[in-house]
Amino acid sequence: MSDDHTFSANKIFGFLILYTALEVAWGTAFDFPRWAIWSGLLIFAFLKGYLIFTWFMHMKFEQPILKFMVVPTIPLIAILIFANMPDTSFNDDMLYPIGHQLEVNLDDDGIHRSKTGEVTGMPDVTAQKAVPASEAHDPLAGGH
Amino acid sequence: MSNPIEAYDPAVDAPAHHHPIYDYESGPPVDRGKFAIWLFLATEVMFFTGLIGTYIVLRMGTETWPNPDLRLEVDLTALNTFILITSSWMMVRSLHAIQHGDREGMKKWLLWTILGGCVFLGVQIYEYIHMWADGRRPNVDIFWSTFYAMTGFHGFHVFVGIVWLICAYIAALRGAYTKENYLRLELAGLYWHFVDLVWVLLFTIVYLM
Repeated sequence: MSDDHTFSANKIFGFLILYTALEVAWGTAFDFPRWAIWSGLLIFAFLKGYLIFTWFMHMKFEQPILKFMVVPTIPLIAILIFANMPDTSFNDDMLYPIGHQLEVNLDDDGIHRSKTGEVTGMPDVTAQKAVPASEAHDPLAGGH
Repeated sequence: MSNPIEAYDPAVDAPAHHHPIYDYESGPPVDRGKFAIWLFLATEVMFFTGLIGTYIVLRMGTETWPNPDLRLEVDLTALNTFILITSSWMMVRSLHAIQHGDREGMKKWLLWTILGGCVFLGVQIYEYIHMWADGRRPNVDIFWSTFYAMTGFHGFHVFVGIVWLICAYIAALRGAYTKENYLRLELAGLYWHFVDLVWVLLFTIVYLM
């Protein structure tokens, strides 16, 4: 291996540090719309992942057979996540409320009920009224 | 036509490390160890997909997901991310050192890699103790249960990586790695880089989004 690889490692490391700093700044310091913040964060994350995967893990210089072993994980990831969403995230018939059912009507007794008043879940140990995200107060914020 | 079996002479037909009849390399066109580690890492990708995918699926259906900035120490974890990325870079430096025949440099950078991993894990444990004492526990709500599941399993992977690197360091002290033979060090490095890669995604999805 030539000295170019050592040099490349330093350059890649510099880019990783720079992208991490930019990513943290983008995610915490700006008041952009949520879609813009998330898009930028995902771009930074996958950019950093690509640098680590390609250079640090040496995949750029490896045989194609190793790349072919990793490629099938991409559609499997998509299937695992997006195929579950209709049955999990957006399902009104779940016995124990998760996902969007958390913000349906919650009475003071903490028992989850659907919008029609039907009991849909177990009593919640942290009974709290559903409030809009903009008015949400986190009782555990700041360590209190 | 003579019988090939009867005419077989090991001294002539079977020189060291070669099969007398099937004199070609079978198996994948890469090192078996490298093939195996990448196959293992592909399974680890699916393992973490199950955890992170669960988080994504649950969050996508929730309108009032807690703001991570209010519940988590993002600044401290950002510093921790720097530490882990730096340790990954030091692992690369260690490998490059042995590729140039520099055994002392390889050991030095490997030791720094281990220390970086230990610092990362120590900060994570400190964060866990701090949160647990404040009542931020997995049974409180889905945010905390998914948080502890993802970061806990990743932390366990970091611990396994540290143990692996310590074993590699001990082997390095015994002179196991040379300029011509450093595959096992490279395999340990691949696992360590994977752990770093997963954390890069975890930090973004859990702490910043």
